[in-house]
Amino acid sequence: MRPHRFARAALPLALAFAPAAPAAADSGDGVDLAPGNALLANGLADAAPDARGTSWLRPGQRRSPAGHLYGCPLEPPTVEELGEWIYDGRMQLGGVVVNGDEDNALWNRYVRWDSGLVLGLLEIALRRPADGSYAELRASRLGSDDGFIEAAFGRAGSYKVQALLREMPNVVSDSARPIWNGVGTNDLRLLPSLAPGASDSAAVAAAVDGVAPQRLQVVRSRTGLGLDAYLTPRWIARAAVSEERRSGARPFGGAFFYNFLFPGNAGVLETVRPVEDATVNLAAGIRYAGDRWRMDFAYDGSFYRDRYRRLRFESPFALTPTRPGTTSAPIYQGQFALEPDNDYHNLRATFMRRLPWNGELGVSAAAGRMRQDDDLIAPIDCAGTFGVDSDGSGVPGPANPFLHACADWNTPAALSRASADLRIDTYAFDTHVSVQPLPALSLRGKLDFRREDYRNAYLAYNPLTGDYGYITENGAQASIQPGALGTWNPLTAPSAITRVRSLPLDRQDYGAELGADWQLAERRSLSLTLSTRRDEPTNRERSRVTDDSVKLAYVDRHVEGLTLRASFAVIDRDGDDYVSDPYWFAYSVSLPGFVAPAGGVPAFTVDALRKYDLADRREHKANLSATVALGDTASLSAGLQGDWNDYDAVIGRQVYDRSGATVQWEWQPSPQTRASIHYGADRARLRMANVADVVFGPDGSLGGPDYPLNGRWWAYDKQRNRNAGASIEQGFGPVRLDLNWNLVDARGLTSYRFASPVALAYFADGLTGGDSGEFPAMRYRVDSLSLGASIALTPRVALRVFDLFERGRIDDWHYLGLDTGRVIDHRVYSDGGPSGYTTNLIGVLLDLRL
Amino acid sequence: MKRVLALLLFSLPPLAGAGGFVDLRDAPVVAGDAAAGAAKVAVCVACHGAEGNAAVTAFPALAAQHPGYLYQSLAGFRRRADPASPMTPQVQSLGDADLRDIAVYFASRRRSAPAVSSAADLPGARLFRDGDAARGIVPCQGCHGATAQGHPLHGTAPRYDYYPALAAQSADYLAARLRRYRDDGQVDTSNALIMRGIARNLDDAAIAELAAWLAATPRESTSTSGDYP
Repeated sequence: MRPHRFARAALPLALAFAPAAPAAADSGDGVDLAPGNALLANGLADAAPDARGTSWLRPGQRRSPAGHLYGCPLEPPTVEELGEWIYDGRMQLGGVVVNGDEDNALWNRYVRWDSGLVLGLLEIALRRPADGSYAELRASRLGSDDGFIEAAFGRAGSYKVQALLREMPNVVSDSARPIWNGVGTNDLRLLPSLAPGASDSAAVAAAVDGVAPQRLQVVRSRTGLGLDAYLTPRWIARAAVSEERRSGARPFGGAFFYNFLFPGNAGVLETVRPVEDATVNLAAGIRYAGDRWRMDFAYDGSFYRDRYRRLRFESPFALTPTRPGTTSAPIYQGQFALEPDNDYHNLRATFMRRLPWNGELGVSAAAGRMRQDDDLIAPIDCAGTFGVDSDGSGVPGPANPFLHACADWNTPAALSRASADLRIDTYAFDTHVSVQPLPALSLRGKLDFRREDYRNAYLAYNPLTGDYGYITENGAQASIQPGALGTWNPLTAPSAITRVRSLPLDRQDYGAELGADWQLAERRSLSLTLSTRRDEPTNRERSRVTDDSVKLAYVDRHVEGLTLRASFAVIDRDGDDYVSDPYWFAYSVSLPGFVAPAGGVPAFTVDALRKYDLADRREHKANLSATVALGDTASLSAGLQGDWNDYDAVIGRQVYDRSGATVQWEWQPSPQTRASIHYGADRARLRMANVADVVFGPDGSLGGPDYPLNGRWWAYDKQRNRNAGASIEQGFGPVRLDLNWNLVDARGLTSYRFASPVALAYFADGLTGGDSGEFPAMRYRVDSLSLGASIALTPRVALRVFDLFERGRIDDWHYLGLDTGRVIDHRVYSDGGPSGYTTNLIGVLLDLRL
Repeated sequence: MKRVLALLLFSLPPLAGAGGFVDLRDAPVVAGDAAAGAAKVAVCVACHGAEGNAAVTAFPALAAQHPGYLYQSLAGFRRRADPASPMTPQVQSLGDADLRDIAVYFASRRRSAPAVSSAADLPGARLFRDGDAARGIVPCQGCHGATAQGHPLHGTAPRYDYYPALAAQSADYLAARLRRYRDDGQVDTSNALIMRGIARNLDDAAIAELAAWLAATPRESTSTSGDYP
């Protein structure tokens, strides 16, 4: 396996994207695929095109069945002999120099560009023709956290052993100024200049100013081992184990009640959380391929382990009760539960059998289990008391009902059980059948069933106090608003409405599909697919949702050199009655002893709301694409796509439309010359309606006293994306020049309007006179230009010199103002947000054939 | 003049590969006059037998072979002009039309080798059909057909006329030819480039098994130049 060949053999379009080097290596999806790096996207200097073409068996082979041009293959390596073995190898090494905003986070996304020496690629392949034995090694290192090494050995038709080691960085911030020591751990302690729970905004701002900008990143490393064994030509066994570790830190939250309604109070903090976890993946299976039967039996397992169970942080701000004459206990310690350890197992069996009429019947069944059983953490992490001290005694008790003893809540004894003990069992069953009763007619059918069963549930109950529910905001709310503890108690707070149970989301869904494909004439086909899917969720607004669809597709390759594809689909969704509050059982209103508050139990939400995943919907999808061969050496492709969704919702998502167009031109007049140009544009429109509740009352009707019509508001999102690129590559004897230009441009605009200021949670925003507006445009644009030359100095030595200039621009109004200060009232931002960059990368690399 | 034209035609791009080999992937159909060819094979049959059914097993049988393959073989002898080859002087005086006529003539002759009823039981049958993954030997039938009559797609495009029928070929000749592919490294056509890689993993035992089975497998028909659209 020679990835440089894959890279070079890809369509010119792929090459056109090459200058967007940071995106050339992904963040870790599909990590068992052949790893690469940002340099390999431009190929190796000595990888000359092979004029002999792609195959000894057929001439030309210049186009895919859809009409796209294949890239010219590369010349095979010249092998050397070593006893019974033959081998070839190559090494690319050299240096890169980065100028400009070299520390910028966007520039460094998924790649570590440091000026200095780089090993672009070391590749050695050995073969023993006598018995098909082979051994391969590939390695690369661009920087301290960016590299890979993989090895494989085996014998063709007998076995294969693979091993992989890879590291990849993901820089998430280049300008973090956290006010805590301990970044990267799960214990954030305020800088010495700040007093926990006793600092003001000015002190925090001064502390931020004293912190040098830091880089926050998460490095992902993966180690894997795999074995394939060809037991017989019919039976193949496989097994693989891998471990993926993530290590680093990234911006996170840290709430101490919200601040905007309580100026000078509470605390909204952007903390920095650690990322220190490992996931072990196991996969094993055995496969049989017979003349009539095919079978596959497989096991997959995944085991996630987090080093930390929780994140603790300190808040610098004092909490002040809203009731005059009272004081707050000085709490400042907050916490977050981090991801729980969890295990996943899945067993799957698949059988397929050939049928008469060129048919096939397939049946597959699978069962899985997901489980987590971490020890639970206490509801609060404080010492002494929290809440509001009404009588000044500092002692909780009946006479001081809003002051609470931390000892009643800061221990696992305050929980209804010690560990999570939660499990989800999954089942899946699929069957499909296809037959071809006539040469020009194929029929197919499919049935499938899925089910998820949530086992066990958690009831938030504190046996030490008799309270149900969770402490909100680390106790901060109760320390500002007397009695706002966030719990229900049959004696002390019988009318409190709060969440007390976990929400099991058991579900099952099944679907059926029937289809037919007609060969209308030679190279003309029409297909019709009818399908229905019934989803039966539990504890959702609907207990049944049905999606019915009809899809028509047409492919025409009748005209020589033209491939035309068109499809159109209509998907209609409806279901049973929509219930706005299926969640009541998870709240204290369901507990015996609950006493409805004066005025009744508030409506859970407005009756007219239709959540978009369950709302009635009519969707139309259309695709049209064509590829035209322009002579033997060029092709032109164009496509139009549309997806229009109308939701039957007075409140909720109403419209979501997307449409786009692409056009691409490719030209390969000779192995020495190739060029391409592409352009794509798409747009999306999302419109939603909502209404503010002005009173916590029991009437959920739209237009009623709780959800008045003048509380309505609407939001409209418009997104427009463009991408374009051009590339040309030309060989002049031993010299090959390549020039690439790329553009990625995305722009999003959110506008809004509202019926009256009643619609706004923050009334001051509605006093400016208008009833509509828009947020500043969100913008992300990257322009890149690269110029390279590859020079074959000798048959074994080649030189590559390249320059990559890239400019990124980003506008994100969420971060407006943070360049002048990270502290706004009691809101503290660690990260200054993404910023634009201008960089230039020069590389000089030597390719050596070993 | 005809000879000059023939030489010019011979060097036209369809047969001249970019890498110094004759590219048969897009080679044209080989047409000729069998009757005329019959008048030009007096020297040939001395070694290759009457109507191409060689009696001496060191020499290949030419009867019922596909005309494209025969023509390209003859052209190869002339192109290489190997002084060590006994074929070199035989073809030097022949023009391209002569080669085509001769090829078409032998293709039209019936192979007279006797069939062996137990051929299917020979070990070479399985090797030909399935190959041997453990030894790196690929199945031969992919390019030479399930019963070694030629490429399975013969008749659908001219290029498949350049893949030989192997059935009823002399075992000695087949073994020698395969060893040459394996050991000599002399390849100058795109098809020979395929065979060079394949023969690399054929040991002497495998060659002997294959040759024995192929020699015992009957050739089912004669061959003609295809009529392609």
